[in-house]
Amino acid sequence: MLKKTGSATPRGSLSRALAGALGDGVSRRGFLRRSGLATGGLAAVGALPATMIRKADAGPILPNVELVTRKNVCTHCSVGCTVIAEVQNGVWVGQEPGWESPINQGTHCAKGASVRELTKGSRRVKYPLKLVDGQWQRISWDQAIGEIGDRLMEIRRQSGPDAVFWLGSAKFSNEGAYLYRKLAAFWGTNNVDHQARICHSTTVAGVANTWGYGAMTNSYNDIQNSKALLIVGGNPAEAHPVSMQHMLRGKEHNRAPFIVIDPRFTRTAAHATEYVRIRPGTDIPVAWGLLWHIFENGWEDKEYIRQRVYGMDEVRAEVRKWTPEEVERVTGVPGTQMRRVAEALAKNKPSTVIWCMGVTQHTVGTANVRALSILQLALGNIGVAGGGANIYRGHCNVQGATDFGLDVSTLPAYYGLAEGAWKHFCRVWDVDYDYMKSRFASKDLMEAKGIPTTRWFDAVLAQPGQIEQPSPLRAMMCFGHGGNTVTRMPEMVKGLAALSLLVIADPHPTTFAAIRERRDGTYILPACTQFETDGSRTCSNRSMQWGEKVVEPIFESKDDYTIIYLLARRLGFAEEMFKHITVEGTRPVPEDILREMNRGCLAIGATGQSPERLKMHMKHQADFDKITMRAADGPCRGDYYGLPWPSWGHPEIRHPGSAVLYDTSRHVMDGGGVFRARFGVERNGVSLLADGSYSKGSDIRDGYPEFTMAVLRKLGWDKELTAEERRVIEAIGGDKIDEVSWQTDLSMGIIRVALKHGCVPHGNAKARALAWNLPDPVPVHREPIYSPRPELVKAYPAIEDRRDFRLVQLARSLQFKVADSDLREKFPMVLTSGRLVEYEGGGEETRSNPWLAELQQSMFAEINVKDAERLGIRDGAWVWVHGPENAARAKVRALVTERVGSGTVFMPFHFSGYWQGESLRGNYPPDTDPIVLGEPVNGVTTYGYDPVTFMQETKVTLCRVEPA
Amino acid sequence: MLLAAPAVQAQLYQTPGPATPATKDQVQLYVPEDKEIGRISLPDEKLSVLIQPQGREWREFRSHTLRLLVGGLVLAMLAALGLFYLFRGTIRIHAGRSGRMVPRFGGLDRFAHWTTAVSFLVMAATGLVLTFGRPLLIPLIGHPAFTGLAVWSKSVHNFVSVPFVFGLLLILVLWVRDNIPEKADWIWLRTLGGLLDKGGEHPEAGRFNAGQKGVFWSVVFGGAAMALTGYLLMVPFTVTGIGGMQILHVIHAVLAGLMIAAIIGHIYIGTIGMEGAFDAMGRGEVDENWAIEHHHRWYEEQRRKGLAPPPPQAAE
Amino acid sequence: MARMKFLCDSERCIECNACVTACKNEHEVPWGINRRRLVTLNDGMPGERSVSMACMHCNDPPCAAVCPVDCFLQTADGVVLHSKDLCIGCGYCFYACPFGAPQFPRSTDFGSRGKMDKCTFCAGGPEADNTPEEYQKYGSNRLAEGKLPLCAEMCSTRALMAGDGDVLADIYAERVVRRGYGSGATGWTTAYGRRDAGSALAPGGAATGGS
Ligand SMILES: Nc1nc2c(c(=O)[nH]1)N[C@H]1C(S)=C(S)[C@@H](COP(=O)(O)OP(=O)(O)OC[C@H]3O[C@@H](n4cnc5c(=O)[nH]c(N)nc54)[C@H](O)[C@@H]3O)O[C@H]1N2
Ligand SMILES: Nc1nc2c(c(=O)[nH]1)N[C@H]1C(S)=C(S)[C@@H](COP(=O)(O)OP(=O)(O)OC[C@H]3O[C@@H](n4cnc5c(=O)[nH]c(N)nc54)[C@H](O)[C@@H]3O)O[C@H]1N2
Ligand code: HEM
Ligand code: HEM
Ligand code: SF4
Ligand code: SF4
Ligand code: SF4
Ligand code: SF4
Ligand code: SF4
Ligand SMILES: [Mo]
Repeated sequence: MLKKTGSATPRGSLSRALAGALGDGVSRRGFLRRSGLATGGLAAVGALPATMIRKADAGPILPNVELVTRKNVCTHCSVGCTVIAEVQNGVWVGQEPGWESPINQGTHCAKGASVRELTKGSRRVKYPLKLVDGQWQRISWDQAIGEIGDRLMEIRRQSGPDAVFWLGSAKFSNEGAYLYRKLAAFWGTNNVDHQARICHSTTVAGVANTWGYGAMTNSYNDIQNSKALLIVGGNPAEAHPVSMQHMLRGKEHNRAPFIVIDPRFTRTAAHATEYVRIRPGTDIPVAWGLLWHIFENGWEDKEYIRQRVYGMDEVRAEVRKWTPEEVERVTGVPGTQMRRVAEALAKNKPSTVIWCMGVTQHTVGTANVRALSILQLALGNIGVAGGGANIYRGHCNVQGATDFGLDVSTLPAYYGLAEGAWKHFCRVWDVDYDYMKSRFASKDLMEAKGIPTTRWFDAVLAQPGQIEQPSPLRAMMCFGHGGNTVTRMPEMVKGLAALSLLVIADPHPTTFAAIRERRDGTYILPACTQFETDGSRTCSNRSMQWGEKVVEPIFESKDDYTIIYLLARRLGFAEEMFKHITVEGTRPVPEDILREMNRGCLAIGATGQSPERLKMHMKHQADFDKITMRAADGPCRGDYYGLPWPSWGHPEIRHPGSAVLYDTSRHVMDGGGVFRARFGVERNGVSLLADGSYSKGSDIRDGYPEFTMAVLRKLGWDKELTAEERRVIEAIGGDKIDEVSWQTDLSMGIIRVALKHGCVPHGNAKARALAWNLPDPVPVHREPIYSPRPELVKAYPAIEDRRDFRLVQLARSLQFKVADSDLREKFPMVLTSGRLVEYEGGGEETRSNPWLAELQQSMFAEINVKDAERLGIRDGAWVWVHGPENAARAKVRALVTERVGSGTVFMPFHFSGYWQGESLRGNYPPDTDPIVLGEPVNGVTTYGYDPVTFMQETKVTLCRVEPA
Repeated sequence: MLLAAPAVQAQLYQTPGPATPATKDQVQLYVPEDKEIGRISLPDEKLSVLIQPQGREWREFRSHTLRLLVGGLVLAMLAALGLFYLFRGTIRIHAGRSGRMVPRFGGLDRFAHWTTAVSFLVMAATGLVLTFGRPLLIPLIGHPAFTGLAVWSKSVHNFVSVPFVFGLLLILVLWVRDNIPEKADWIWLRTLGGLLDKGGEHPEAGRFNAGQKGVFWSVVFGGAAMALTGYLLMVPFTVTGIGGMQILHVIHAVLAGLMIAAIIGHIYIGTIGMEGAFDAMGRGEVDENWAIEHHHRWYEEQRRKGLAPPPPQAAE
Repeated sequence: MARMKFLCDSERCIECNACVTACKNEHEVPWGINRRRLVTLNDGMPGERSVSMACMHCNDPPCAAVCPVDCFLQTADGVVLHSKDLCIGCGYCFYACPFGAPQFPRSTDFGSRGKMDKCTFCAGGPEADNTPEEYQKYGSNRLAEGKLPLCAEMCSTRALMAGDGDVLADIYAERVVRRGYGSGATGWTTAYGRRDAGSALAPGGAATGGS
């Protein structure tokens, strides 16, 4: 045996650290910190000489060069894991665990553990590019912005501002998202959207219409308090891996039932105590089936329902139809199992319901969301630690980008598009309302919902009369999108070909760049990642985290702020747009953008999160409790980590943020809350306000409407406003000062006074089990358009065809056509799609990262063992998956497995770069093609949209599999 | 890893049952482990083997059995030959050298033989460096020098396989006709080729006697097997998984031991063991008396064909 | 002296591959070398479990026993390291290793498969601690910096643990008692034996077959 030479055996400082730890009888916790098992990591080594801690002179880390540690946040999903970067000479040389983060506590998933590669960037877009006759040409930034600006202005002159589609990204920082929304407003269109449309728009619509806000109610950490977990249509083990840390702790510590409802036996299901396999697209029958048992046995929380829920009786009527037999007939789940699950949820309270894309991405997405919300209301689980609707959001900043208005139907903070909303933001932006109006084609279009990203190509290909705006889309500005991620790609490709201008601003070229059909008029602007700029992002639990720039933008890339500024300047409205935002050179300062947001986004309580407070939280992460997420000590004492919104009022009043929404057991200044009064005070003679329920310490011991000057005056509290506050309110209200509300009062005086009285500014109402403004006020089951069960279609038809979002929406007519045809015979299997842990979204970014790409080297379709046997398909063999529209097909490898049930096929959606069996590698700009390419599943997905948000149906269609 | 049913049950019900450990010392850390194969996303079949405790047997073979076996065989063969030599001495040409030579192996024959032979010896030596270097050479020359030697041995072993296989094929083509077993071989074997007969009575034999045929076929089959297993060892995992690789190695190594021992015997006979034998491969011709005594039938044939000189006029 | 071990609690492991990626990142491990990997048993069926596997740093390591050039060493705290200067790339360690830990840059053997590479427990190699040479051959040496393996430090669910075996055993046992189930520490019987005899190759340990 060899011996390590020199000072080998003592193993440097570690052995000493350990010897010390064990010898001195330091607590196990103390040792664990060193062992990397509990928390804290490096802390214990602090006692060692500094030189021992640093990599003296190894590897990529250079000797005697200063090593700087920077803190940012993982850009790959909404969990929001802290990333610790070690930087030397401006190069990111090492990644260390972020022990102090209360969210991830040092951990990561594969993607988070790989982010350093993003700034090495061998496959990144390195300089601006232009497609000329099918060839990529390198151009300068000046030329790129100049030409793009000219073309945009020309289109604007010819076809009006609505002919341009502004696609933003959930990968933006909050500041970037807000700025991009503002850019679209100044350009004069509401055709501005981002990934939430294809991700959680139905969640937002569903829960906001139920209890007020479109967000996850509790936090990942809080699940450690849950006594039962129900995960419906979510696969956190792959999509939100670090959340599983909290979920498994909850499961283990509380011996909590862990129930997974999913058509597929996922990696999450592998840890379930109960796995319920359902037919895709039947979540409402499942929810109602559970409620059937709950009502039947009187397990509901009757007092909670009386005080805090409106319209539960209408739900009862619908639920009565879903007897165990009918549920089994429609969903395939046996009655005994349904009862067991219902009982587990009802008897182990607080129980939490967790959901994700399996619920939201359906033609009944909003109704699905509402059904699950109602289930939680019936059990009295909302507004309770350990309970809640824990809706795991998608991208790293899909919550923030939604909050700050990257959306076709609203301005930032869900103010909507009505005149009042525009006027509010004109005040915030300090621009004249008439100027703003003049930017739009008309006041009507200014107040009309825009075209959503799920349908942009329909709006390109539409004839002028078919679309409710002056011109079809002619240009697309695409910031931070994969391109292979909308359904119906064959039609998307046609739309892409018909665009006269396509601009991609992205660190990677994306699928859009690789599509053969375009030969001219495409520009790629190298955007940098969030590791090369700074700004805040909001994770799923509404915590806002400030990411610090790790390295300067690599190659010629620029951050989103700069690109937006350059465009605004070229388009001639930079002066107005950046009136109160400092621009350093050509880079707007993100802190300033956030301050402007703080001033204007009152409606969601995004006002308390000043850049200073956010940075302080990042700096003092260690002070926050790992379960409650509350700082027990230090300068942030009393705050919840990341000031999860609402954090009401001015930063100076130090509202701690709200860890659990609608939690009446706490004072509002302690993070407590109530359901939002958003839909009036009564309906058909029945009060919509809470009945005898209010948050702790409230001066009003009952329900109350939202606060306006009128309400303040009635209560006599208006006298408590300061002179300055009153001056601002008067300036806003003019002669209608009573109408100034907590949402529009830029002085935040109304909010301040309400809080002082322990009241929540948004009023105290009941949650709505019955949402009369939605197409289905009480959710009803509707078969998918491409239903594998034509015999059920007549009983559970899709919604009537309709118009919305400036376009036609087909539903029932198409569904009946499909049911009456012989499609079912030609396409006998159900196709569903979803995620792999290693890749994110369209995957161009992660498939370019060798550390991740190695782990999933080819696109595949999961096929059940029996089906594979029947079809003569071996594991690993090539197969064609055919879709029922456009003669679509995809060539992929078969993964023969029991994960999917017989008759179901699952495909991940992260692949592109192949098209119907052919490689598109040559079409990427040189040196930017991702390492792994594969066939996009959306090449075979089909038509189908949720009526409320136009969410695409990605999870149920039909297909046929054949050996290739 | 054992996914014991009770463990799964316990997890499903989450309620303490009879199998639930109540204190830490009841927790089983060590569980019986057998071969475990699972699924892995990497496109590398062999990595899907999670645990292969069978490696233990291979380790035992490689670290002990192989050395004992090869070492034992070689030493036993040397000892046997030594004893035999003491007992029997060099087998003389009974009638003494006649001085007249009968051509036995042409240039091509000898080229084939020596190609094979030299390659074999090189391969054996380089192979044995790997087998015995650690206990025998490292203590003598130290680690770095031995690594140098081992690297060199390994590539020599790999490259010399080419002439070895080439020679083997040539031998096969040239000599296969004369090595087809026949009835006479049976008699030869029964009398052990007259080996023990100090009187020099040799059973009748053609060009090759049964013993030589044995060598021939051992070399052909053994060599082929060595080549096959050797090449498969050289491109690991192309046709088999880890278990298969272990078996291939065992076959290769055991055959190496057997062949080396056998060839030592062959070399003995070809050199000091038998007077006049070396000439066959050395000069290509043998003394007439040697031919008559050892390969009488072949000698007759050669004469009939006029390839051997006519018999001298009988001295009697 | 701590005896360094790995323990993968398969009830916790969710096959997220963070451990695998962290390792790649920390040591810039090239494509094709998998110092750590995830294997899923009973895929798609109730009872599905994943295990993260790398070199277990066995007591009495089989790799070391079969290595023809004797290039392994075991540190006082049980970490099994090897010398890439001495390794001849024969692949024997892979045949002997119960866990498939040794990795090779090339698949063929003609000449050599290249220097073997395997998990170092983030403890570098026989070179002096934290020298550029050490980094270049074996990756970084976290142990010498007082840190533990990055794969375990970053494990998403704290399934993978690294550190003093006694402590790991203790944590694991505590978990099992708390939750009421656990099917044993995968690989422990094979790597460490039922009677933990300490490190056979460590200075002073029982010698292994071969030398
Ligand atoms: N690794 C990774 N993580 C990610 C992402 C990523 O791309 N990669 N993306 C992020 C984003 S943008 C999002 S939105 C989230 C999404 O996260 P998830 O929603 O958890 O991920 P999916 O795999 O799309 O879908 C979840 C499950 O829904 C199931 N499902 C399909 N149809 C139905 C149905 O009709 N009913 C029910 N109950 N279940 C069904 C699928 O089988 C799948 O297991 O993940 C985020 N995290
Ligand atoms: N069939 C099917 N289709 C689906 C889904 C499904 O489950 N099944 N899921 C849907 C869901 S939930 C979603 S969210 C979408 C995801 O789909 P996409 O959002 O289209 O996919 P990503 O690859 O995440 O796109 C993000 C892009 O942003 C770029 N980027 C990263 N950082 C920055 C930055 O700082 N600035 C800028 N400008 N760009 C940046 C990345 O390089 C990448 O190209 O896919 C949807 N499509
Ligand atoms: C260096 C030592 C060697 C010597 C001196 C030697 C000598 C001889 C001699 C003299 C013969 C001819 C016997 C006859 O006339 O029939 C012979 C034949 C043969 N030798 Fe060798 N040989 C040696 C090594 C080898 C090796 C290493 C191999 C094979 C791997 C080999 C394979 C054969 C074969 C197959 C024959 C023909 C069959 C036989 O005659 O036994 N020899 N050798
Ligand atoms: C075509 C012919 C042959 C080929 C391709 C071949 C190839 C190999 C290979 C690849 C190894 C593994 C060693 C390593 O990878 O470092 C090996 C080992 C070995 N070979 Fe061969 N070989 C051949 C013929 C022979 C012959 C003729 C002998 C001698 C009799 C021999 C004796 C050995 C020995 C002793 C070992 C070492 C076994 C050990 O110590 O584990 N080989 N050979
Ligand atoms: S992808 Fe999500 S879970 Fe994974 S490290 Fe990043 S933020 Fe954490
Ligand atoms: S796991 Fe394999 S490589 Fe590691 S010490 Fe054990 S035998 Fe050697
Ligand atoms: S590959 Fe290297 S380390 Fe492994 S047994 Fe061979 S020489 Fe030893
Ligand atoms: S201990 Fe270090 S070298 Fe070993 S697998 Fe973990 S990260 Fe890789
Ligand atoms: S990081 Fe942890 S949970 Fe993820 S695969 Fe590795 S061991 Fe399993
Ligand atoms: Mo998403």
